Amino acid sequence: MNENEFGYRIRQALNEGAERLDYKTAFRLEQGRRKALAAHRAATAPAYRPILVPAGGPLLEEDGQVGWGQRLGLIAPLLALVIGFVGIYQWQHERRINELADIDFAVLLDEAPIDAYADKGFGALLQTNFDEI
Amino acid sequence: MASAEELSAFLASVERRAFKQAQFAVRDADGALDIVQDAMLKLAENYGDRPAAELPLLFTRILQNTIHDYFRRQKVRSTWITLFSALGGRGEEEDSDPLETLEALAGSDGAESAEDKVERSQVIAIIEEEISRLPARQREAFVMRYWEEMDVAETAAAMGCSEGSVKTHCSRATHALAKALSARGIRL
Repeated sequence: MNENEFGYRIRQALNEGAERLDYKTAFRLEQGRRKALAAHRAATAPAYRPILVPAGGPLLEEDGQVGWGQRLGLIAPLLALVIGFVGIYQWQHERRINELADIDFAVLLDEAPIDAYADKGFGALLQTNFDEI
Repeated sequence: MASAEELSAFLASVERRAFKQAQFAVRDADGALDIVQDAMLKLAENYGDRPAAELPLLFTRILQNTIHDYFRRQKVRSTWITLFSALGGRGEEEDSDPLETLEALAGSDGAESAEDKVERSQVIAIIEEEISRLPARQREAFVMRYWEEMDVAETAAAMGCSEGSVKTHCSRATHALAKALSARGIRL
């Protein structure tokens, strides 16, 4: 019998021995395999990270750069917010000027009610207006 | 990249042989089970992204390294081993007469009526025992070449030695095994 033939017969015997493992050992091997597969799933699962994505699409283009469209999408709302604040300020300022003008006209035309002159607040308001003028 | 199904099928196909190889080396069923489980985990965690075709060689290497790690740990804890050997059954197993093992095996297979099946079990037990008695490098080379059916180059790569060394180890292992089996009246 040559070496290869001897090896073949030994292999047959070893295969038989491996197939005759007791239930407990086979069960523990199966448990070990399941643990390894769970570890494999954990190692190969994609990692999910929370990222902020604007409604128009992802922040980055395919080459990893931020596109002009995306930049505009970020800047435009900020610009609109600033313009809105300025507009509100101007509108309130105009309204206050108009109110003061109405009071001035009322005083000059002697249309202000007589009670107004007894009111401390009205006096203070007139004083403030004189200071501003 | 090996899919989960491919990895599962591969591990299922090698786990029993891996257990036997580890048992030949450490001569302890629990230790062998731990080694196989460690090896399977290492393969799945660190090499699960490799192609399925690479898994056999990778697993063989990992298994051999895990067996070597086991022996290193055992060496470090030699004090505990001495205590364990004195209290446990491993020492008795090493010193026991192989014929006693055969008798025990024959008894455990008593439920099987076929006499030839019992005899075959005895022969397998003796073969496994004699393989576990081979020097470590000879056993590794022999098992990889003739049980794992790896070629000389693959065996050399897995063992980290030259192809000439593999051939020498295999030849010596074959002759030593044939002589030991013949001495025990085993004819293949």
